[in-house]
Amino acid sequence: MSRAALLAAPAVLLVVLVLGAALLTALLQSLGLLPLFGEPEFSTAAWTDGGALVESAGVSLYIATTSTLLAVVVGFLIAAYALTAGRGGRLIAALSAATIPIPHLVASGAIGLLLTDAGFLARLLGMPEGFPQLVGTDWWTAAILEFAWKESAFVALVVLGGISRSAAALSETAATLGASARQRILHVILPLARLPLGVAGLVVFVYTFGSYEAPWLLGPVAPEPLSVRAVRLFGSVDLAARPEAMATALTSVGIAVAVIGLGVLGLALLARGSRRRSPRRSQQHSQLPSSRRSGAGS
Amino acid sequence: MSALASGPARMGSRRPRAALSLRRVLPVVLGTALLIWVLLPLVPVALWSVAGEWRAPAVLPEAWSSQALTTLVSPEVLQAGLRSAALGLGVAVTGTVLGALAAFGLRQLPRTQARILGFILLAPLAIPPFALVMGANVLLLSARVPTFAAVLIVLTVTALPYTAYMFHVALASYDWRFEEVARTLGASPTRVLLSVRMALLAPAIARAGFLAFLVGWSDYITTVLIGGGQLRTLPMLLGSAASTTGGEQLTAALSLAMIAPPVILLILLARWGQRGRSPQ
Repeated sequence: MSRAALLAAPAVLLVVLVLGAALLTALLQSLGLLPLFGEPEFSTAAWTDGGALVESAGVSLYIATTSTLLAVVVGFLIAAYALTAGRGGRLIAALSAATIPIPHLVASGAIGLLLTDAGFLARLLGMPEGFPQLVGTDWWTAAILEFAWKESAFVALVVLGGISRSAAALSETAATLGASARQRILHVILPLARLPLGVAGLVVFVYTFGSYEAPWLLGPVAPEPLSVRAVRLFGSVDLAARPEAMATALTSVGIAVAVIGLGVLGLALLARGSRRRSPRRSQQHSQLPSSRRSGAGS
Repeated sequence: MSALASGPARMGSRRPRAALSLRRVLPVVLGTALLIWVLLPLVPVALWSVAGEWRAPAVLPEAWSSQALTTLVSPEVLQAGLRSAALGLGVAVTGTVLGALAAFGLRQLPRTQARILGFILLAPLAIPPFALVMGANVLLLSARVPTFAAVLIVLTVTALPYTAYMFHVALASYDWRFEEVARTLGASPTRVLLSVRMALLAPAIARAGFLAFLVGWSDYITTVLIGGGQLRTLPMLLGSAASTTGGEQLTAALSLAMIAPPVILLILLARWGQRGRSPQ
C-alpha cells in the first residue's frame, strides 16, 4: 500500500466500518434476522406494516421541504441585503452568521419559549384572542420556523461566501449605471446566487429531513416524522419494535440518498447552464468595471 | 443604506413622491424585519435566564432572580459541562487529525482513487444521524466499547466529512515550496512539519477543529441513543429541561451555558487569527 493510501486509511476505514456496520445491522434487524433475543426469523412485516411508514415519510418530506424553502428565501434576503445595504447590511450578515454555532437543541428550546401559547411573542403582541397555536400543531409551524431560523443563517453564509466578491463589484457597477436596489438584487445578485442557493438548499433539505430535536420538542405527538418514530421505536421496551425502528431508519436513508442523487444531478445541470451563459457574462464583467473606472477617472 | 437611497431616482428624475419614499422605506423595513428575525428567538432565552416570576400577560419578568444561573455552577451541571467539553475536545482532536491525514493522502493518490475515497468520506453527510447511530449501536454494544468511546467514535465519523473537506480546500491553495525551502535550508522532517506545515495550515486546523468541537459539544441524538441516559452531557440536561413544562428558567440558563463556550472559543480563534495575520 502506498504512503498516500496509508495516510487516508484510518479515516476511510473508520467511515466504512461504522457506516457499513450500521447499514448492514439495520437491514438485518429490519428483516428479523438479527434479533436482540431469540431465534432469527425472516420477516418483512416491519416494511409492510400498514401506512405508518409512508405517513412518517410524508411528514418528514413536508417538514424538510417547507423548512428548506423558507430558509433559502430568508437566507437569500439576508445575503442580498448584506450586499446592497452598506454597513447595516453587513451588521445583519454578521449577527446572522453568529447564530450558526448555536446548536439546534438550544434553538428548539428558544423557539419554544418564543412561540408557545403564552410565550414571548404572544406577550409582546398583548396576548391577542386569535393568536394561533404554533407549537405542537399538525402544521409543524414551530419546528419549521426553528429550522428556517437556523438554516437561513447557513444559506446566507454560503451565498455570501460564494459570490460576495463578484457580486459586490457587479452590484456596485450596476448601481453606478443607475440600477435600483431591487434591480440589482433581481438581475445581478439572484442570477449569481442560483448555484450557491441550490447547494445550500440541498444541504439544508438533507439535514432537516434527518433531524430529530426540533420535531421532537416542537411537533405534535402524532403523526411522527421518520426520525421521531425511529427513535421512539428504538427505545421501546417492546423488543418487537426493533425491526420497525430499523425499517424506519433505512427508509430515511433511502430517501436522503435519492434526494442527494437528484439534487446533485440538478445542480450539475444548473452549473452547466450558467457556464454556457458565462462567456457573455464574463465579457460584461470585464467591460463594466472598466467603464466604471473611466467614469470615476473623469 | 446610503447606497440604496442614492442613484438616479434622487438625481432629478421626476418620479412621484410616493414611489420615492417607498424606495427609501422598503430597505429600512426589510432591514428591521431581518434584524428581528435574527435576534428575536434569543430574547426570551436571555430574559428567562434571569427571570424570577414571569406570568402570562407580562411582557417583561415581574421579578428577577439569579437562581437559574446559580444552578449552572451546581456539581451536576458542572460535571455535565466537563463531559460535553471532553466529548467536544475528543471529537476535535480525532476528527481533525484523521481529516487532515485523509486530505493529505487523497492529494497524492491517483484521481479516480482519490475521488472514490473522497466520496466515501463525504458519505456520512447523506445518512441521517439517528439512522447511523441506531445501526452502529448494535455493533458497538456487542464489541463492548465503553459508552464514552462509542459516542466519540460515531461523532468522529459524523465530523470527518467537515474536517476532511476543510483540509481539502486548504491544501488546494497550499504552497509546497515553503517546505522545500525549509528542507534545503537543513530543517528536519519534524521541524518542517511543526514549523512550516502546521504553521501555514493553522487557520484550516482551527476551522476544522472548531467544527469538530461543535459536533461533539452540541450532540444530542448520538448521546441519547448510545448512552441511553447514562452519559449525562449538557445537551441531555437541556433536553430534559426543555421537554418539561415549567422548566423555562432552567432551559434558558442551560441554553446560555451551551452557547457561551463555542462563542468564546470562536472569538478567541478569530483574535488569534488576526494576530497571526497582522504584519510585524
